[in-house]
Amino acid sequence: MKIKRILIANRGEIAVRIMKTAKLMKIETVAVKTAVEPNAMYLSSADVIYDNTDDISEIPVFLDIEKLISIALKAGANAIHPGYGFLAENAYFAQKCIDNKIIFIGPSPDAIYKMGNKTIARKIALAGGIPMAMGSEGNIANEEEAIVIAEKIGYPVIIKAASGGGGRGMRIVRKTEEMEKMFIIASKEAEKAFNDPSVFVEKYIENPKHIEFQILGDTKGNVIHLGERECSIQRKHQKLLEEAPSPALDDKLRKRMGDMAVQIAKAVDYHSAGTVEFLLDSDRNFYFMEMNTRIQVEHPVTEIITGLDLIEQQIRIANGEELKFKQSDIRLKGWAIECRINAEDVQAGFAPDPGKIENLHMPSNPCIRVDTGVQTGSSIVASYDSMIAKLIVRGKDRKDCIKNCKMALDKVWIKGTKTTLPFFRMLVRHKKFQDGTFTTSFIEKDLDKYYFNSEYEEMLAAWLATKLFVEENLNDDSINVNFEHGKVMSPWLLNKRINQF
Amino acid sequence: MANEKLQIKKLYALSSENKKFSFSLPLKHTIRIGKRDYEVQLKADEKFGTYILWKNRKYPVEIVRSSQNKYEILFNDISYTFTVETPFSLQRKKVLNSRLGKVEKEFIRAPMPGKIIDVLVREGSIVQKGESLVILEAMKMQNEILSPVNGIVERVTAKPNTNVMKDDLLVEIKL
Repeated sequence: MKIKRILIANRGEIAVRIMKTAKLMKIETVAVKTAVEPNAMYLSSADVIYDNTDDISEIPVFLDIEKLISIALKAGANAIHPGYGFLAENAYFAQKCIDNKIIFIGPSPDAIYKMGNKTIARKIALAGGIPMAMGSEGNIANEEEAIVIAEKIGYPVIIKAASGGGGRGMRIVRKTEEMEKMFIIASKEAEKAFNDPSVFVEKYIENPKHIEFQILGDTKGNVIHLGERECSIQRKHQKLLEEAPSPALDDKLRKRMGDMAVQIAKAVDYHSAGTVEFLLDSDRNFYFMEMNTRIQVEHPVTEIITGLDLIEQQIRIANGEELKFKQSDIRLKGWAIECRINAEDVQAGFAPDPGKIENLHMPSNPCIRVDTGVQTGSSIVASYDSMIAKLIVRGKDRKDCIKNCKMALDKVWIKGTKTTLPFFRMLVRHKKFQDGTFTTSFIEKDLDKYYFNSEYEEMLAAWLATKLFVEENLNDDSINVNFEHGKVMSPWLLNKRINQF
Repeated sequence: MANEKLQIKKLYALSSENKKFSFSLPLKHTIRIGKRDYEVQLKADEKFGTYILWKNRKYPVEIVRSSQNKYEILFNDISYTFTVETPFSLQRKKVLNSRLGKVEKEFIRAPMPGKIIDVLVREGSIVQKGESLVILEAMKMQNEILSPVNGIVERVTAKPNTNVMKDDLLVEIKL
């Protein structure tokens, strides 16, 4: 193995995830300690910790190319894994690594650039005869130009960031009057998120399913796919739950779409792990959307049904090894679902709810895998994303998987912030989720309530409120709680104590 | 309160959606479902924090806020707000509510801390329910703050490129 020591240019659960595989492969890892999260859990998985807490720069270190390269060189790392987000799809960063004789664990700068620029990616797909939604030739300069195109292809249209990804910089426009406002929002969001305000317009496919194919390619020109993931459960283009395989595909459609995905990857000489995203409409027509040139948040569901470790594959490919299996060796077995448990308030429109995790207990069971970067006492900080943990559940088929998921969700215990758990508890009980007919508009259109509570939960909460009132005002019975045990005193215990004096 | 105390036989917890739960005093540590009473236990320990044990299952609970007779409770990751009323205060509330006029103003506040990216209305703008007022960036996402009502913008306190805290006033709308 050429790769001896990897700098993890990331934080949180994905840093923990990468280090776990590196450890199994007997490769050392370097993690960066930041002032924002000096006690983060990912630091405890690393062999070497680079202390960057005295960095006064405004830019987070995980976005600072020069700094990361210098850390890698100083720490003796001969490879960098970018994880997802931050610089994972930055061609300049990948090139800088190569220039400094550091192995970039990901695709070539050229592939990142071509697929990262959505207008170039569209041209490549078009040349290869890949089905696509109609849209603008290239980027559009202003709302007037967008209106001209929209009137030609027909509303609704979607404005997308040319350098986009992760669902940011996208807005749906249903009529001319909305164009100006949406153009400004999308363009500003794109500039902020990707440092590039350019956007393009394409026909918006109504009520599609989001289906993506996992690709693996090596540096010898072999490219295969590892089946699909369905990620239709999303809100404002942010994925909440993913599963593999998709209930909407049969073997024939899987082969057709998978072949197309491989073809797109081959067109840019793709190596490493990547994802080709499609939209599937209600008539089972599919359209190429984009290719993500990184490891995805939802990669574990593919790992479960294929039995492969995708991080290991990325490292082996970056090391120059040839894939040890062919397309015909890939067998999809069972079903897997991933719930993104985020620190968000479902009752307040999924608003982020950063804070300290006071208690965290995840169930352990052979059918459950948990990928997380936090533990009891960790903080979800406002400067990063709101992910607490990924709850990944397996089953022998979809029905069995949903049953296991329902059980697992009831066993997750998180205190300190509000979470998306009540949303998933509702989802696994929803008929449309169970029968697999949901689309990307499910959350917006098919739900009147975003959370689940059992019939008696509100009554128990009412009982508790009444009990507190009695304690505080009527000095009745006493509460049988041993608060000397807990280090952190909950507000109501504090209240009670104050009232006693 | 002291005078009332002797006479109170019942308390009511009113939810924000005006659901009424009544509990007789002294408050029992059981809740009746059908013909059976089930014990409710309020507990706390280091491992789980504060929780309610009911029908062999633990539910995480947290008192988010309490002031006077108003309680915001987080129960199994869901927030509930109750006002606890005695039979007298409930009666008084009913009388007061019938006398009170309608709300005339709507105060739009920041739902989360963040940075104001754009303000899409100005004083005097006529807004429809669902129209965006302000774009607030928080945790890397741009969020549109929508008007919950139809009305006329009376005051705009949000300024582009400034940071706001949760619950800061952004826009005032006259109904």
